[in-house]
Amino acid sequence: MRGQFRETATALAETDPRVVVILGDISVYQFRDFQARFPKRFYNMGICEATLIGVAAGLASQGWFPFVHSIAPFVTERGLEQIKLDMAYNGFGGNVVSCGATFDYAWDGATHHAYGELEALRLVPGMEVLQPGSRREVDALIRQCYGNGRPTYVRLSDYPHDEDLGEIVAGRGRVVIDKSARLTVMTAGPILGNVRRAVADLPVNLVYFHTLKPLDRDLVERFRDTDILVVHDARGLREAIGEVPNLRVDFHGLGDRFYSGYGTVDDLRRECGLDPAGIREAVARRLKGS
Amino acid sequence: MNPEARAIRRAILDIAHVSGHGHIPTCFSVVESLQAVYDTLRHDPANPDWDGRDLFVLSKGHAALGLYCVLALRGYFPIADVHAFGAAGSRFGCHADRFKVPGVEASTGSLGHGIGLAVGMALAARIDGGDRRVVTLIGDGEANEGTVWEAIMVAVDQRLDNLTVIYDHNKSQTRCLAIPNPGERFAAFGCAVRVVDGHDRDALAAALGGDGGAPRVVIADTRKGWGCRTLVDDMFAWHRRSPNARELPILMEELDAWTV
Repeated sequence: MRGQFRETATALAETDPRVVVILGDISVYQFRDFQARFPKRFYNMGICEATLIGVAAGLASQGWFPFVHSIAPFVTERGLEQIKLDMAYNGFGGNVVSCGATFDYAWDGATHHAYGELEALRLVPGMEVLQPGSRREVDALIRQCYGNGRPTYVRLSDYPHDEDLGEIVAGRGRVVIDKSARLTVMTAGPILGNVRRAVADLPVNLVYFHTLKPLDRDLVERFRDTDILVVHDARGLREAIGEVPNLRVDFHGLGDRFYSGYGTVDDLRRECGLDPAGIREAVARRLKGS
Repeated sequence: MNPEARAIRRAILDIAHVSGHGHIPTCFSVVESLQAVYDTLRHDPANPDWDGRDLFVLSKGHAALGLYCVLALRGYFPIADVHAFGAAGSRFGCHADRFKVPGVEASTGSLGHGIGLAVGMALAARIDGGDRRVVTLIGDGEANEGTVWEAIMVAVDQRLDNLTVIYDHNKSQTRCLAIPNPGERFAAFGCAVRVVDGHDRDALAAALGGDGGAPRVVIADTRKGWGCRTLVDDMFAWHRRSPNARELPILMEELDAWTV
């Protein structure tokens, strides 16, 4: 997805002279071509994430469309107050694009994991929170949102799903499987691949979101008469769906703890039951109980 | 004290008394700095959004009342409007909101934010190739925040010679994390440093003028509460206080008697 982000940002910069890229010394090789072509609009500014956000907001105040890019926990959780105040409260919108989603840097340990930032940013008034799950989604969502003046978070992962979900529109979810079942699984982002493998032959509906805010509430409403099981490898989707009143919602995903193990993304997903077998078991349990 | 500075301080005291709000000592320490900013920068009170204006960001947002009074006396809005300071429905909060107050470029309050915004604004002007200048006013207490120094490092690295940082050295941090010799520190970071009497409006204006060559830092050597003996002598107790009916005339009398 990082490669797609680079390609999309470069394509936008070709046609939009107000696009500027700010890196926190991450993905620098990815952007060498961008730097060569647009030297006045490329800044590898330093490992100072909070200030990168502030500077980006200052650029936005003068009509620029900045992309700030660094590792998810640092650029979002360290820079949260700058995103909240400098971008959102001041109305100086910009694009915060992270890499290192959830357990992408599994082997680096809990300091480099990110699973709370989607929810933290969802609570920022006016914020757009995007969790694309594939390259196509990255491209479409960035093109649709980068210049709308609102603060926008785009969470990239190096482990995309391979589902083709047709037309991609920011703020709209997709029905992946509709079996008119009594249980609907709702998910978001790259974990869709595991979820689909887990439930393909089970009597459940499957609904997917790449936009956590604004959430496609109309789509949620369509399934309000079913039991809903949110399966997600982060915080944020369950809470967003929970804002739709009077639903029956359960959650399968991360607990209230640090996942401090190492290994691979799959190792950590297995540890918290987000591998296909773990998801299938959780869904089957709900099917028995419903 | 120049007559306008005295009028600004009188307005600050009046409004703080009426509203029950105000960071009076910190507002008093920046009066001449704010005068010098609006003496020096290009701006148009009749057209606050004028494209040709320079930009000023009050990073130490709790001095908003001082900024409001300066903007009012320079013609941005009637000073009478500011008497609703901090009240429900007022445009004038204890920290400024750029959507509500003409002339306010950024909403600030949480310390260590305005300077980062100012760096971005200066970078934008540099990319655009214009001659727009950006000035931000930070406090010495604010400089406890790490983002101040991050922003300075970025400004120096990007050679933003269109950026000026006024450092209100009012010694507010003598009871906790004081920063001795701030000029040396900013110089060590690569800034072009000028140290001036922060209550000398003309000296400040001179320091803000001309070419900088590097991100410029003007160390404004000030006293918190400068203008009233009571405020200077007891600056911590008065940090967030407003004068009651008995105290107001005493402070006004002290202000009128201030001869420095």
